[in-house]
Amino acid sequence: MIALYLVAAVAVFAVARALIEKNTGRKLPYVNVMNFAVAGALVLLLDHPLSLVAAAAYFVGSTLEANAIASTYAGGVKR
Amino acid sequence: MLGEILHILAAAVIAWVLFVTVDIFFELPKAGGVSGASAIARDIEAGGGALAGGNMMGNIVCSPDASAGTLLAACGVYVAGIPGGLAAALMVFIGNRICHDPGYAGTTGAVLATFIVYGFTLVGFAATDFIAGMVLAILSIQGLSHARASRLLARLWRVRQ
Repeated sequence: MIALYLVAAVAVFAVARALIEKNTGRKLPYVNVMNFAVAGALVLLLDHPLSLVAAAAYFVGSTLEANAIASTYAGGVKR
Repeated sequence: MLGEILHILAAAVIAWVLFVTVDIFFELPKAGGVSGASAIARDIEAGGGALAGGNMMGNIVCSPDASAGTLLAACGVYVAGIPGGLAAALMVFIGNRICHDPGYAGTTGAVLATFIVYGFTLVGFAATDFIAGMVLAILSIQGLSHARASRLLARLWRVRQ
């Protein structure tokens, strides 16, 4: 139970840091912490064997989004 | 209650050492794997951090690395024991390929973490301790002070070199 509250508190803290940070490049690591916390909270909350698949799908999807945002921020594909 | 908190803190230290060791072994601080990781590294350096540490932090953001592997392996062990952890490793491997990551840091980290987390469940730890511990470990690197964390990672990277 403590694990769930701790993970949820970290998620809220990471969101607050991401909102306060103005620089996009430095904002993304805070969002990354939130993604870790949400993926952990999913498994702790859902008492089901497929919760692992839900957490992995959420985590990989959010990482891919962060990758896309960062690469667009870096200038995107040069043609 | 105090016992659970101490277990979570111990798990955080174990998870931290595991993922930093695997990531540095797989040379994540060397360069950004995608252009976005390099951009994050440059911004962290501009904010008073070190470029090598920034590269590793950018790579952690842009593709599932050993820290993600450790988290999902702990989730897998919690749900279904060793088979669950190995299933998580497979999903991390797929995630790496989706994220244009040629490396194996995430998969290796997930497989190692599966056996480490399972081993600790035999001596009184719960897999949930490692889920919360890994979240605390990533908070210490990505969520507290980017400048300090990147300088620490750069120092560890120099030791590796």
